[in-house]
Amino acid sequence: MSSHGDSSLDKSGQKDDEESPEKNLWLSAHQDPVAGLYTFSTSISLADLNADSDHKLLVADLGTGTFDMKLKVFKGTSLFMESAIIDLPTALVTFYMDTNDPRTPAVAVASGPFIYVYKNLRPYFKFTLPPLEVNAVEQDLWNQAKEDKIDIHVLREMLESLKNEGSEGLLTVRSLKFLSLEPEELEAFASVHKHAPLKRQTVITCMGTMKKSMADDDAVSCLVIGTESKDVFVLDPEAFTVLARMNLPSVPVFISVNGLFDVEFRIVVACRDGKVYTLKRGSKIAKACIELGAQAVGLERTGKSIIVGCMDNTMVCYSTKGKKLWTVYLPTNITTMSLMDHKARGFKAVMVGLNNGEVRIYKEKYLVNTIKMPDAVTAMKFGRFGREDSALILITKGGGLYVKILKRTANFEGKDLTPGPPPAQSIKLNVPKKTKLFVDQTLRERDSAGSMHRMFQHDLYLLRLMAARAYVSALQKSLNPISSSTTEPLKLSAQVQGIGPAFKLTVNLQNISSSVPSTNLLITFQFDDSLYALSKPCITVPLLVPGLMYTYETLVECISDKGISDFIKVFVLHKGNSIPVITAVINMPVSEALVIV
Amino acid sequence: MGLFDKLAGWLGLKKKEMNVLCIGLDNSGKTSIINKLKPDKSQTQDIVPTVGFTVEKFMSQSLNFTVFDMSGQGRYRNLWEHYYKTAQAVIFVLDSSDRLRMVVAKEELDILLQHSEIAARRVPILFFANKMDCKEALSPVQCSQKMGLDAILNKPWHICASNALSGEGLTDGVDWLTDQIRLS
Repeated sequence: MSSHGDSSLDKSGQKDDEESPEKNLWLSAHQDPVAGLYTFSTSISLADLNADSDHKLLVADLGTGTFDMKLKVFKGTSLFMESAIIDLPTALVTFYMDTNDPRTPAVAVASGPFIYVYKNLRPYFKFTLPPLEVNAVEQDLWNQAKEDKIDIHVLREMLESLKNEGSEGLLTVRSLKFLSLEPEELEAFASVHKHAPLKRQTVITCMGTMKKSMADDDAVSCLVIGTESKDVFVLDPEAFTVLARMNLPSVPVFISVNGLFDVEFRIVVACRDGKVYTLKRGSKIAKACIELGAQAVGLERTGKSIIVGCMDNTMVCYSTKGKKLWTVYLPTNITTMSLMDHKARGFKAVMVGLNNGEVRIYKEKYLVNTIKMPDAVTAMKFGRFGREDSALILITKGGGLYVKILKRTANFEGKDLTPGPPPAQSIKLNVPKKTKLFVDQTLRERDSAGSMHRMFQHDLYLLRLMAARAYVSALQKSLNPISSSTTEPLKLSAQVQGIGPAFKLTVNLQNISSSVPSTNLLITFQFDDSLYALSKPCITVPLLVPGLMYTYETLVECISDKGISDFIKVFVLHKGNSIPVITAVINMPVSEALVIV
Repeated sequence: MGLFDKLAGWLGLKKKEMNVLCIGLDNSGKTSIINKLKPDKSQTQDIVPTVGFTVEKFMSQSLNFTVFDMSGQGRYRNLWEHYYKTAQAVIFVLDSSDRLRMVVAKEELDILLQHSEIAARRVPILFFANKMDCKEALSPVQCSQKMGLDAILNKPWHICASNALSGEGLTDGVDWLTDQIRLS
């Protein structure tokens, strides 16, 4: 019974390992495929709203995209609070705006030209961006319309020409709306709106936070906002006044802030012109640092590197100086990017949501983990949720809300999962310095390459000639152990056994012809008779049947005690013919000294 | 053991010593439960997150319990396994109102059950589905489903709802533990 319980547990563990490696790392804590959320990574946040160390999830929900926009707060798996937002939210951040206890953070939701600030989940303050200057001609036209001095259709034509002059982005929302109306609606629209003063407002495109003067986790932070009017504003957290205003050459879309406002900071902004600009403390105008290959779809900073996801399915890393460090090619479009900062382990990585439903985690350029989701992920956030430090919030295109928790035993410091050249390839070899000899030799080779080649060819021909001559003479003298003559095809091998002074010499003889037997053969030996004495210097060979191996033996005694050795030649002869049929040469081993007992 | 001690043992006067390991996630109420089980006069009023572990003693009708109250914080959970060897019983405290982290508790339980010191031994495991007073709390049955307790076949286990603040349900659990130890 007990063993059964154990094995079932082990099996289930192994099955998980084999099926999907990501299950090793993430626990699926909550899944709600029909949560009906429509949001992006810039509009979700995790914060300790009630200062009870139970972190809540804040989502600025775009509703249907036209109405039903809401700020939703999740406590654990359930919806804790929701509150309507008037216009489409573009960004949501949480920040500490004062040093009061308990340390409850404020929530800022950017929507249109406004920032709605919530404290204790109640509306607290509405910040409006400073109005922009209205085009003088436009102002004049509307003034005339107010006093009914101008016909509606003339107004429309004049505005149209103003728009075509290239100042479309500089017109007020009222004029733009007016131009987009059907002719029969113009009259009514103008009569409703013409009495109100003409105002030109810009729209917030992105928002971030920056600690003001302290780097603590719960230090007071400023809001940093990018606008459609190509500006970046830094707002004071208490008075909501503009602390700094910086100009950009294009409209910012992604913003990343580092540093302290009172000390030194860097704001990295990806803009709609496909460039990344850097702003620093004291500068009024941005410095272009990176020209991207395609439009940016995500921007993250880890330490000294800027990681930009691009529309051409690449993720490119640049140094803060703008030098390209590496590129990762992805299989499909990037839907969202987010930073994974696991402070407890000092692990920082970039998470990339892909259109095929994968979430890939890259530690620098190395893929360390992949999470498969049922749908493309549009928003994600890694951080503390509830009481769990390492939770990952994923919101999919279909509106599903998923919460995953990193296992305590998870380890990302593993091998690189991307296919490609092995890491050993990039290790530099310790090549020694070039010596003078090497340099001289190289120079010589370069100068006289032709003559060196000719010399080599000459030597090679000589070598071949000598080899051919030696082969011919061996054939003529039958010095080889296999007879090549058609009349006597024989194979000879000989070996020596023993350590001396008495040896046994074994001669194996084989007729390798298919049918012709060999007759009238003799085996004889040539040796130095001052060194060796053979018991049978001549052996008469009987008829050799084709294919069989015949063995003949003779004893060799070394009669010298000088410890030298010589070779013995074995000849196979035909009776009455002095030229051997085949020859073998045996190198005799050095004989051991005779031991007299 | 002296003659008197032996005599006391036969007569049932001397109580058996018992080592119990109390584990569970942070903020599940381990220290609160142990605190409530102690005699009234040695209870503390304010309970702070445990750092590392603390050793507490209390007694039931026939047993003297020595409880290792482990810290449940993520960075201290790797200390648990060092006490598996000496543990004669395990108290696993669940926060039944924390639905999100039920998977984390299950993961920790699986690590416990697969550990070489525990896997082969018939260690009784007592689960407290704590914080039963919270309105979003799961029932003990739901907890045992989420934790996959029915897969534990080689160990006696028991789950009971508890409220460490009022002490409700605690004696039920401790009685079960006492019975298990008597049987073994």
